[in-house]
Amino acid sequence: MENDNIVINPDQLPRETEQPAIINTDVQVNSAENLTFLRKLQENKRLFSLIRTLFFIFVSALALLLIFLFIISVVPALQEIPSGGRTHLVNSEELRQSASYRKQITLMKKDIDRLNIKYNNYTTGQSYLVINTTDNLFYLYKNKKLIRSGHCSTGSYMMLKTEEGRSWVFKTPKGKRTIQGKTTHPYWHRSDWSYIEEGSPVPPKDDPSRYEYGVLGDYAMSLGDGYMVHGTIYKRFLGMPVTHGCVRLNDEDLDIVFHSLNIGSKVYIF
Amino acid sequence: MGTENENNPNLRKILVITLTSIIGAVLIYFSVMCILAPVRKLKEINEEYTFQPDSKNKIDERIYSDSAYLKLLKEKSFLQSRIAMAESDSIYVTINIPDSTIDLESCGVVVHSTKIQKMSISNIIKSGNEYIISSMLSKPFSIENSFSTIPKEPLMIKMAPKDTSEFVPDAVPDTAYHEPVNYVLEMSNGTRIFVYQAEFPHPGDKMHLFKFDMKYRLQNTFNAIKRTMFFKVPDYHPFIKIRIPRADAKIIYRALPVHGQIAVYR
Repeated sequence: MENDNIVINPDQLPRETEQPAIINTDVQVNSAENLTFLRKLQENKRLFSLIRTLFFIFVSALALLLIFLFIISVVPALQEIPSGGRTHLVNSEELRQSASYRKQITLMKKDIDRLNIKYNNYTTGQSYLVINTTDNLFYLYKNKKLIRSGHCSTGSYMMLKTEEGRSWVFKTPKGKRTIQGKTTHPYWHRSDWSYIEEGSPVPPKDDPSRYEYGVLGDYAMSLGDGYMVHGTIYKRFLGMPVTHGCVRLNDEDLDIVFHSLNIGSKVYIF
Repeated sequence: MGTENENNPNLRKILVITLTSIIGAVLIYFSVMCILAPVRKLKEINEEYTFQPDSKNKIDERIYSDSAYLKLLKEKSFLQSRIAMAESDSIYVTINIPDSTIDLESCGVVVHSTKIQKMSISNIIKSGNEYIISSMLSKPFSIENSFSTIPKEPLMIKMAPKDTSEFVPDAVPDTAYHEPVNYVLEMSNGTRIFVYQAEFPHPGDKMHLFKFDMKYRLQNTFNAIKRTMFFKVPDYHPFIKIRIPRADAKIIYRALPVHGQIAVYR
């Protein structure tokens, strides 16, 4: 019984016994200072409560931020965890030898050939013009080969408005168009907007002052709805979106384009 | 008073634990619902495009897991999709995932082509059932909505001068300005195509792009929260994210009609 009393539970030992035998005096001083600081802080209840509140706000904000990031970033990423549904390719030799398999493959190949022919028929073997209105570039193709490219000018995307409520948008129409007419030595029949834009009075419809010669270059090709591909006297603006919707080219390019395209030739504008 | 003070820390502890548990439970519920979303979408796609057995012309179903047949099926689906778009007179886009190319086409003519520099595709499209996904891709996707950092049409409004004295010639447009180009095309079948400029943005543009991305994420998260609040599985949108040069991204966005079409070859 006496021996039993001698057994000491290590947890019951005083905490000092766990400390290293040699204690630096500086550390002792510092911890003492910290203790007094904490004690002082606890004594100053208002300051303590303020720090506690600030700490609480900081932790809450951090938690909210983490929740926010979790919802907007982690959850969508979790949705991309690979799930089932993937096809397990079998490639059975027995199946490949069967008549029904060969029939299906033949039918499929025939379908593909038919669709390929149909799709290739959309691509014209004739010359066609491609206009890039974003970069103001043109590409001329003949027999599906690029034969000339260069700068052009397209619509300015300017919306002209009058106080009376009339408005015009100067943009080049996008999509497929065809050459509807070809003219040499074209003249420009000025529209109302060209007067309104300058603040000039609008003359009657067939007034001779509406006709201007030499401003559209040597050739013009009509795309319908009043839009044309023509030359320009403002060559320094080529490569920029400055027109009222027509496509302007320089004299050399215009000459080649004019002589390469026929009435009915396609113009792809994007 | 003394007892109240002694109880307060416990009460606070209980409050903190309860609040944390509630938030945790809500987050777990939301996450589970969001994780279920692609499963539901996959089920919907499977139901819509699954193989329909033909009583007259019986086909060995093992053919739908044969690589040679599936390769031909993919090709056929892409061609069908392209033809459907070529029949309309408008401009459309084709995305060729194996070749990493994106083409702008009009009536069967490739008018612009660009190489995709980086791509990420959602698992449903990437590794879904080959037959079902090919059937889904045999019809072109139609754009329902789009969000972009650039306007579709860069319209500038000019008031007409009252007389010639007020007339000011148009300034030469500043073509040197490089605005950042990022956009999201929301397709009618739920797929979303994200197009990002490949170039590193200018320092001033980073905030602009961050705001754009955040706005889009928040909008989606808000929709998901709204649905989960009513105990509904949120919508899942399969995606294709691509990085292409800024100039090409701009060309494609401006060229595509508002409700343009896109075909994908996988």
